Amino acid sequence: MDALRIFLDGANRNRTLFVLLVGFALFPIYTGIADLPFWNDLAMRIMLLGLAAMGLNLVLGYGGMVSFGHAAFVGVGAYCVGISQYYGLFNGWIHILMALGACGALGLVIGYLALRTSGIYFIMITLAFAQMLFFLFVSLEQFGGDDGMSIDRAEFIIIDLWEPLRLYYLIWAALALSSVLLMFIVRSRFGVVLQAIRSNESRVEAMGLAPLPFKITGYVISAMICGLAGALFASWQEYVSPDIMHWTRSGELMIIIILGGLGTLSGPLLGAVVFLLLEEILPEVMHVVAPSYAENWMIVFGPILIAVVLFARGGLMGLVHQMTGRRR
Amino acid sequence: MSETVLQIEGLEKSFGALRATCDVSLDVAHGEIHALIGPNGAGKTTLIRQIYGSETSDAGVVKLRGEVMNGLNVPQRVARGIGRSFQISNVLMDFTVLQNAILAEQARRGESFRFFRPAFDDQALIEGAGVMLDRVGLGYRATTPVADLAHGERRLLELALALAAEPALLLLDEPMAGAGSEETQHMIEIIDGLRSRAGILLIEHDMDAVFRLADRVTVLVEGEIIASGAPDVISADKAVREAYLGSDDHA
Amino acid sequence: MTVTLLLEQMFNGLQSGVMLFLIAAGLTLILGIMDFVFLAHGAQVMIGAYAAASLTALTGNFLVGIVLAIPITFASGFLLEFLLIRHLYRRDHMDQVLATFGLILFFNELIRIGFGPAALFSDLPKALSGFVNILPDAPYPMFRLVVIIVGLACAIGIHMLVSHTRVGAMVRAGANNEAMTAALGINIRLLRRFVFAVGACFAGVAGMMIGPLTAVEPGMGEPLLILSLVVIIIGGIGSVRGAFVAAVLVGMVDTMGRVLLPVILRSFMGQAAADGAGPALASMMVYILMSLVLVFKPTGLFPPKG
Repeated sequence: MDALRIFLDGANRNRTLFVLLVGFALFPIYTGIADLPFWNDLAMRIMLLGLAAMGLNLVLGYGGMVSFGHAAFVGVGAYCVGISQYYGLFNGWIHILMALGACGALGLVIGYLALRTSGIYFIMITLAFAQMLFFLFVSLEQFGGDDGMSIDRAEFIIIDLWEPLRLYYLIWAALALSSVLLMFIVRSRFGVVLQAIRSNESRVEAMGLAPLPFKITGYVISAMICGLAGALFASWQEYVSPDIMHWTRSGELMIIIILGGLGTLSGPLLGAVVFLLLEEILPEVMHVVAPSYAENWMIVFGPILIAVVLFARGGLMGLVHQMTGRRR
Repeated sequence: MSETVLQIEGLEKSFGALRATCDVSLDVAHGEIHALIGPNGAGKTTLIRQIYGSETSDAGVVKLRGEVMNGLNVPQRVARGIGRSFQISNVLMDFTVLQNAILAEQARRGESFRFFRPAFDDQALIEGAGVMLDRVGLGYRATTPVADLAHGERRLLELALALAAEPALLLLDEPMAGAGSEETQHMIEIIDGLRSRAGILLIEHDMDAVFRLADRVTVLVEGEIIASGAPDVISADKAVREAYLGSDDHA
Repeated sequence: MTVTLLLEQMFNGLQSGVMLFLIAAGLTLILGIMDFVFLAHGAQVMIGAYAAASLTALTGNFLVGIVLAIPITFASGFLLEFLLIRHLYRRDHMDQVLATFGLILFFNELIRIGFGPAALFSDLPKALSGFVNILPDAPYPMFRLVVIIVGLACAIGIHMLVSHTRVGAMVRAGANNEAMTAALGINIRLLRRFVFAVGACFAGVAGMMIGPLTAVEPGMGEPLLILSLVVIIIGGIGSVRGAFVAAVLVGMVDTMGRVLLPVILRSFMGQAAADGAGPALASMMVYILMSLVLVFKPTGLFPPKG
């Protein structure tokens, strides 16, 4: 009952998150009635990117560690599915477990080495590790090298009955579960220390706490969430290539977080919604406004990012809080 | 004679050609306020940092209740009983006063690797944190964000946090810095009341405060101890007057 | 593997190293003095390459094209700092990453609109397109040799600028202590703009030189940006000397790895697989090198004295 009370209290403090989650849960009903299957696909992409961004947000937003290489964990999670299938293993649950394990272990090693540095050096060393993994997978010809590998539909025993929306709700469940988990974590004693480290590391030391174990633990949890997102991403896309861990993907995850609101629970998901909708809508808008440049919508998107940095501090959640008159 | 809490022997630290501290030896007993004075750049803060563990020493030994501290880092020394207040307020600006204290309380209890219950709603932690704040008379400001505190209140919070782990040794680095005269009086009273709790090494420029509080005074000039003894002995010491106190008369 | 081939590859490594240095020299100062994470430096390389290629086509003379392109790169750095960058100095690293990431998207798309998505190829002037013997019977492309010479000349120029001029002294002071520079009454705002402009200029020159060797295309700067970030980290952020040593090191490791790794891999796997995996593993080696440096020297090989 204690857990329920804490859950309800947390949900009450994070209404935007739960509104979004309920929205995603009900969305297929709407698309079913309106016969818009494409939009289910988009919703799944949003949820997957939102999930990965949520994972990154734990270190970026709550821990203040600017990791510029989290796409690598998404990629490793995705390749766990591809490589398992290459060796004849098609059970989707096992894929997910492997992705969690692999990314947890990798997060531990990379976190341990990278967290010895700070500032710009930390940004760059996390980028370097991601690049290393990127080129590793490019070099593995066996698994398709540069071209990547196609992936069969994984078998998810028990929920396979729910075709055709099983993957949709599997992704939704992963997102909802991770959200609730993160909601508990960021308010827990561990999460509070993580945020204190972001605020003032030397004060945390003065309290007698060594920051490193907290940072590494946060890093590992965040890597595992990204790995989960990656495994599901591979199942959804039915294809994986090194492109999924390209450094610009890490940049995209950061964009999503900042767009939505750094260090807030709902920010990453809200950011993913807006980011992917912009990606869909901007070409359409360009098509109307400047038809010959419809493909060049990035010319608008780049400046939008800059404008968000310059003028919308706190991201969209900052605006939400302003409108509802609540401090974060 | 009460127990010796801190004992340092032959502590040295150089930054390139600059000798910040040179063969410094002193001790602090339980219940004693030992003041460390000296002109700016005399190496006082470096010495504090060496004791606290945020600066490594080139030579010498730091002992806390007989246990050698050399080789331990800051969190380890704090856990063994060294508390420090900083010259520039070092508190969690994004948090409220109570939240600062709650963090200190959970750190004191060594129960921070927990992932489930919300820390800021935890009754046990809130109670402990309340006691901590009452010690310095800051309980009534509990829900105020630290960023909104007045300077003097921030100094008090700083002191409360340094006391949180119930340290055997308290290092106070200019606790009165930037305070008004009323705030200074209040701070002197509070520090005076801490005697029974710990041994205190106090760095302070306010000579009035030093001579009202200190049981012993050590004078550091250019990294070296030039005199050490009871306050009245020090204030009468010729060398000290010339090197340090005297400069005030001329100025 | 013959000695001639090895020598040729060493020259290629040096060539790629000096070009990386031209890009990294300005960027290391931007990261070091201003503590500013500037990801759009690759766009400066691209701007330089496009300016030179189109001006060469317009005037019909490679040299004239380059001479006219240099002021354009200087102006682009100057304007970029004035219009946007100066508003971001006080922001945290994350904001800087994001805003300059947005700049990358913007510039790449701008070039795509202006010049089309396809790569530009420019013919080399006759005088530069032949071969010279660097050793008896060891022919080496004339243009690559010119690139090395230009690169080294620029490197010497940068060295003179940083170590032997008043502006350089200010920059060095700023790299160590911004407050002190300000206290000395140096106009820090102008200094920053100057570093950006000169940095963009050298990055642009690198683009002009690399252009005829590879493809001049949208997004060409980003792989170079990432490599020069590696160079900067290995050399120590803010150290021009460190950037030079690291650039040559990275250029050599990358180039030699591409040639040598497939040979080594062939001894225990098929030729096709070895030729496929070799270049990627060579790229990996650069990052392994960087991680090793950071694990053992967390502030790089030549951290500026602070």
